[in-house]
Amino acid sequence: MKKTIKVAIALLLGLTSPAMAQDIKVGTIFPLSGGAGPDGQSVTNAVKLAIEQINEKGGLLGRKITLISKDDESTPAVGVSRANQMIAEKVDVVIEGWNSPVTLAMQPILARAGVLDITAVSKSDLILAGETNPLAIRINSSNGFDAGVIAKYVAETLKAKKVAFLTQNDVYGNGFQTAVEAEFKKLNFSGQIVTTEKFAFKDTDFRVQLTSLKSANPDAIIVTNSSNSSGLPAMVEQYRQADLKSTFVGAVGIMLPTVFKVAGDANNGIISADIYFWNLPPFDAIPESKSFVAAFKKAYGVEPDKSAALGAAALQVWARAVEATKSLDRKTVAEAIRGTTIKGTVFGDAQFLPNGQLQPRYVVFKVVDGKTAKLEALE
Amino acid sequence: MTVIESHSTNQLPVVRSAAIAVLIAVGFFLPRLLGGTSVAYSTLTTIAIFAVMCYGVDVVLSYLGEVSLGHTLFWAVGGYTAANLSVKYGLNGWSTALATVGLCIVAAGFLGAVTLRTREFVFSLVTYAAAVVAYEIAFNWDAIGGSDGIVGISALKLPFGFATYVGGTQEELWPIAFVLLLLTLAFIARFRRSRLGTTALMVQMNPPLAASLGIDPRKVRLAVFLISAPITGLAGWLYAYQRAYVGPDMFESYFLVMMLTAVVLIGRRVLVGPLIGTAILIAQQNLLSLGGDWNKIILGSVLALVLIFWPTGLVGFFRRFGKTRA
Amino acid sequence: MNIAQQIVNGLVLGSGYACIALGWTILLGVARLVNFAHGQLYMLGAFATWYAMTRLDLPYPLAILAAIVALAVLGALMQSAMMGLVMTQNLTSLMIVTLGLGYVLQGASALIFGGNPQTLPGTLSRAKVDLGSLWFTWQDVLVLAATLALYGAVWLFTQKTRFGSVIRAVAEDPKLAELFGINAKIVYLLVFVFECAAVALGAALVAPRSPILTSMGFNEVIMTFVVVVLGGIGSIGGALVAGLGLGLFIAFFGAFVAHAYTTAAAFAVLLALLVVRPAGLAAK
Repeated sequence: MKKTIKVAIALLLGLTSPAMAQDIKVGTIFPLSGGAGPDGQSVTNAVKLAIEQINEKGGLLGRKITLISKDDESTPAVGVSRANQMIAEKVDVVIEGWNSPVTLAMQPILARAGVLDITAVSKSDLILAGETNPLAIRINSSNGFDAGVIAKYVAETLKAKKVAFLTQNDVYGNGFQTAVEAEFKKLNFSGQIVTTEKFAFKDTDFRVQLTSLKSANPDAIIVTNSSNSSGLPAMVEQYRQADLKSTFVGAVGIMLPTVFKVAGDANNGIISADIYFWNLPPFDAIPESKSFVAAFKKAYGVEPDKSAALGAAALQVWARAVEATKSLDRKTVAEAIRGTTIKGTVFGDAQFLPNGQLQPRYVVFKVVDGKTAKLEALE
Repeated sequence: MTVIESHSTNQLPVVRSAAIAVLIAVGFFLPRLLGGTSVAYSTLTTIAIFAVMCYGVDVVLSYLGEVSLGHTLFWAVGGYTAANLSVKYGLNGWSTALATVGLCIVAAGFLGAVTLRTREFVFSLVTYAAAVVAYEIAFNWDAIGGSDGIVGISALKLPFGFATYVGGTQEELWPIAFVLLLLTLAFIARFRRSRLGTTALMVQMNPPLAASLGIDPRKVRLAVFLISAPITGLAGWLYAYQRAYVGPDMFESYFLVMMLTAVVLIGRRVLVGPLIGTAILIAQQNLLSLGGDWNKIILGSVLALVLIFWPTGLVGFFRRFGKTRA
Repeated sequence: MNIAQQIVNGLVLGSGYACIALGWTILLGVARLVNFAHGQLYMLGAFATWYAMTRLDLPYPLAILAAIVALAVLGALMQSAMMGLVMTQNLTSLMIVTLGLGYVLQGASALIFGGNPQTLPGTLSRAKVDLGSLWFTWQDVLVLAATLALYGAVWLFTQKTRFGSVIRAVAEDPKLAELFGINAKIVYLLVFVFECAAVALGAALVAPRSPILTSMGFNEVIMTFVVVVLGGIGSIGGALVAGLGLGLFIAFFGAFVAHAYTTAAAFAVLLALLVVRPAGLAAK
């Protein structure tokens, strides 16, 4: 029964031959159902495409790569089950993580079993804390560096005199706010933080907070909201309806395609930053990015967004390290990634800090036309 | 039917004891019999832990006739106690287990007292409200873990004076989980025949008779509730060591639905009911998963259909083919 | 601190809570049925409205009607399946059956409608009203008006008509009512269908405020629970007062204390009240 399902999945994923003993196995664990399902599906598709691109050029170490994709349903307990299944299938690497609690639950399981674990999207700082996984690798940017970019822009370019925070009440949101405040201190920011309003990730109605913010009348409001499918688009629309004159400064990476699709031109004028854009410099000049964008558009009908880029980069970074070390051993490959620069990814040269964090290149942008997601890179 | 089923108080025949001993031995070596891989160990350990978690809810359902939607609270108390005390103070397994039992009894005392006068759906809703409040506290209180929880829970250490048993890998945790499951089963088998157990059943099935015998139903309710809490709590305690990570996800409906499903699927007051129910659910999730959406449809349909056709659980289906009970 | 705007916000939130809670409290009061599928029914009501507007090109008012009819039919089917359990008042099993059915609805909806967020165009949620420094949308006005009208209609129906007293009789004592020739089965069926229709109306009016997802449901209706118990189970007037009151509480607690803790605060208040008065606030 299990074999039938495996073959069925392999066929569904478009791979024509069933998994053979010689193939290299890559596992992905992302939410494929539930609220984050479409996002997780997009990342998985990107990994799949990156694998196909490598297979077309002769594979990895002369062997074909096959993909085993599983759904963690955004639930840590389910993620742990899936991680155990990956271990049973003897995969060579697991690329995982949209929700931080799921990543944190899976890390010790994979580490104990000696399976290399690359976190693509989850943002928690604990992922790289080293206790549960001393060989952790993460592709998405961390709150610490993100905060620097936003703080610098608000303090030095916007030159805001009064700043307010609209923060998601969890470790991610509160952590980002704390980091921005610390950066403000470092920059000797002369402005004043007038108020902080918080909300829960699942909230979709923000009138109460927006009313309070309007009374405080800051020059800029720094918004941290990772609910790209429901809360954030609703917030953007309500922000415009409440007629807030303050500049909407979004935390790094929150302006995902669904936000533009749902909130449309309510997004106009929003300032934010991100670490990948298929059509903005410097990324539109990187050869791997261009070929990936073309292939993604051909296969899935849309251009890849930042999340897809993270998935593809995770796979490419791992594949390059495997090629360089001619090994699939967890420690060898991990040490060939951490603290080094990997060339030939959709991000161009991927520079990793010793703790496994990818050092991104940020682009600050302004939304020119929300309906078409047209952005203008700022400096 | 007002007659309480009396259980035989004769000593167990030798054959029956031998059969149970064989079952226990087979159970203990089951992971090895199934291949001895770390996945076999981890799956069976998970089944054992989740089964013990379900037995807490089972006690309340079987002996009080109430559906407690708040047992995730005790599950989380166990997990958070183990995590916080071992990570922050380096306490060993005995201390954290003791603390878990103590805290669960306190929490159950409070919640039980609050729900003394409530019945049926009000009871369920109040227990649910308590779990929601506890979730919000756990989510927002950074000192005990906050929204990301506690990582890096070290291996379980159980000192025995001359040596310390360390439960770090799944293979090492299995005996502990197995023993916990056995203790729970033994406790529940005992509880059935105990004074409190039979009294609780009488109160549930024939309140006027119980009243005429001078039994105070509120004391009985509280006692049963107090006993059910540490069972689920200790399951949460062991889960913290197995997963090495504890977070507010302990309050998620994933665990609550598992507790309810495992308990009602087979039937009430069937000793191995929750165990079988848990094993079926975990097996489906691990071996027959058709994706998150189809899994929901299957789980929901099974739950609804079983209860619609056999409100007493699947045993109702099997009893049709067995001997009829007086 | 804009008090007047927060009052408006509170009324907007509260009328939403009250609208969604009406069906649930009546069902609970009459049939003692805890409908755990309420959240998924809300989600389905929203998607039915969306489908009618975007795929069948119906105008908003007709789409609302379509959603109500669709969910009423679904409710009839669900209640027929559960009828045995309802008649024997096997309340614990009923609760879990509705939980199971809710799961089925969620999984099926995800497969049918997909996981992407959708918006409901053509509603009044973008039509703003500016009254001096206050702002709200025409949709908010619609929700408040519809809620008051619905509550008024239901109250009149149960208090003044014969069928209303039939329902109240079944709620009090189903066996006695049967002795008087009342068909309890029909009553239960109609009450459940009403619950589904009411939540469909609530969804059609309230859901357009934000994008809809097939994964939503539980969180949207969690306040229903607080409203129903605070207002007194089965009490119509109680649910309206509790709903609006809760909305105002959320607005002011959020404005003066911290919005992130409003759920905890609401449930803590609920727990405290249940300790003091286990039957809820309204005396039956």
